Amino acid sequence: MNYNDLIERLSDRTGQSKVKTKEILGDALDVLTEQLTNGKGVSIPELGTFSTKMNDQKKVYNPHYEAYIIVPQKRVVDFTPAAGLKEKVKFLEQDNE
Amino acid sequence: MSEKITFKELVELIAEQSKQSQNAANSFIHELVQIIESGLKKSGSVSISGFGKFELRWMNERAGVHPQTGEEITIPGQNKVVFKPYKALREEVNKPFANLKSRLIRENIPGASAPLPEPAPDDVSVEEKDPKDVPFGVPGIEKSSKKNLPPIDELLIERDKPTSAAAMESALPEEDKAAATVPAMVPTQAKVVKEVQESGGFKWTYAAAVVIALAAFIILFYLMQRTTNGGETLTTSDQQTEQQVLTPLVPAIEPEGEEPATETEGPPDDGIPDSEESPPPAETEAAQDDAPAVQTEFETETLTVEAGQSLWTIAQTELGNPYLWPLLYHLNGDIMANPNQLPAAADLEIPQISDPEALNSFEREQVAHGYFSLYEWTAENNPDEARYFLWAVGVFSPEMLDTPPSEVDPDDLAFARNR
Repeated sequence: MNYNDLIERLSDRTGQSKVKTKEILGDALDVLTEQLTNGKGVSIPELGTFSTKMNDQKKVYNPHYEAYIIVPQKRVVDFTPAAGLKEKVKFLEQDNE
Repeated sequence: MSEKITFKELVELIAEQSKQSQNAANSFIHELVQIIESGLKKSGSVSISGFGKFELRWMNERAGVHPQTGEEITIPGQNKVVFKPYKALREEVNKPFANLKSRLIRENIPGASAPLPEPAPDDVSVEEKDPKDVPFGVPGIEKSSKKNLPPIDELLIERDKPTSAAAMESALPEEDKAAATVPAMVPTQAKVVKEVQESGGFKWTYAAAVVIALAAFIILFYLMQRTTNGGETLTTSDQQTEQQVLTPLVPAIEPEGEEPATETEGPPDDGIPDSEESPPPAETEAAQDDAPAVQTEFETETLTVEAGQSLWTIAQTELGNPYLWPLLYHLNGDIMANPNQLPAAADLEIPQISDPEALNSFEREQVAHGYFSLYEWTAENNPDEARYFLWAVGVFSPEMLDTPPSEVDPDDLAFARNR
């Protein structure tokens, strides 16, 4: 399901126009992103927990330069699906995208 | 773990941001969650533009151990929900650490290696002060950073030779941030460049980098003196005034002010940068220090020309200095013969330069090439004006005047040299 499908169904469910839905979704994601940027995690019921974690710096081999490269530490988004969601999709038969 | 805000706080913030009631925001999120869930069930993936993508990933069955009883069980294949953040979100979240760059570790060239000397005792103590900074390897086994300084004269002679080592060191993902560039190491020298990064944490990479940068400054200083003593018409002071006069046109040809400073900084071994208490200086040093990478080509981006744009304006917006526009002409010579006519909707290659105020030697050379291409074109079409471009070549790369890539008019050359 792509972004357009998502907006379409969301606007169906909330009864708002697609444009408006897009705006609200954008606002919601901005808030979420801002919290993550500040290093704060958020649990969303029935979906999961967004949080951030630090990846240590690591040494990787770059075959192009035939040398090792130190990739610096970085902060990444960590998502843990909620238990409910996990169970619901666990044994779902999946064809494809 | 990181702190969290509650879902209620999140809903409040969203309600505030989108100027609606908390109830509305709350139900909006619930609808969103349900749609994501049904989307996952139906098609296995839900993509939210600018944010990320939820996906189901099938995990094959595997052997495992029951956590309580310890008996061996087979964990059946199952779906896992994964969230893949898109670039915008990744970059946003990593913002506080975005200034950290990857760096290349040079390894010993097999067969040409010299035995590594033991580190000086004080090195060890510095190293062990903060073992957390040394995530890789054992602290204190890298060699004294002094070893990283190849003899200056050798470097001067060797720097123009293309070597495989140069290729290896070239074009790191990291950009040269400094005007100073260390010349390419030839294989015989590479043996002494067992890098401190290999087992060092930040401090050691900085230390090595600072040492290399110091070497580069000194080399440049010698190089300048050498050219002036070598029968050039300009004296050192003349050259300096010359360059000061040129500064509006030429961004920081040579960071003049810094050279005396580097010499008074003492032996390179003292150049160990401060630890984390003062990150900003450490960063500036690091910035200078991506220098060991000798660039041989630009990373480029493609830009489609729009109405009203000229190479001049593109250079101003993309490169940060309009006077660098010949670089664009040079790189895109295949799509435009006449530098004054930019084809509509053409796709230009835009080089990624590190700092328009302090070009590294490769970038300067490329700009000089650009001015030289202009000189060639102008010499054919408007011979009276051509010499000014040749002069600009000399401004960016005096060496190129000594060995011009093709035939130049002797009068123009004299003009370019003496102006």
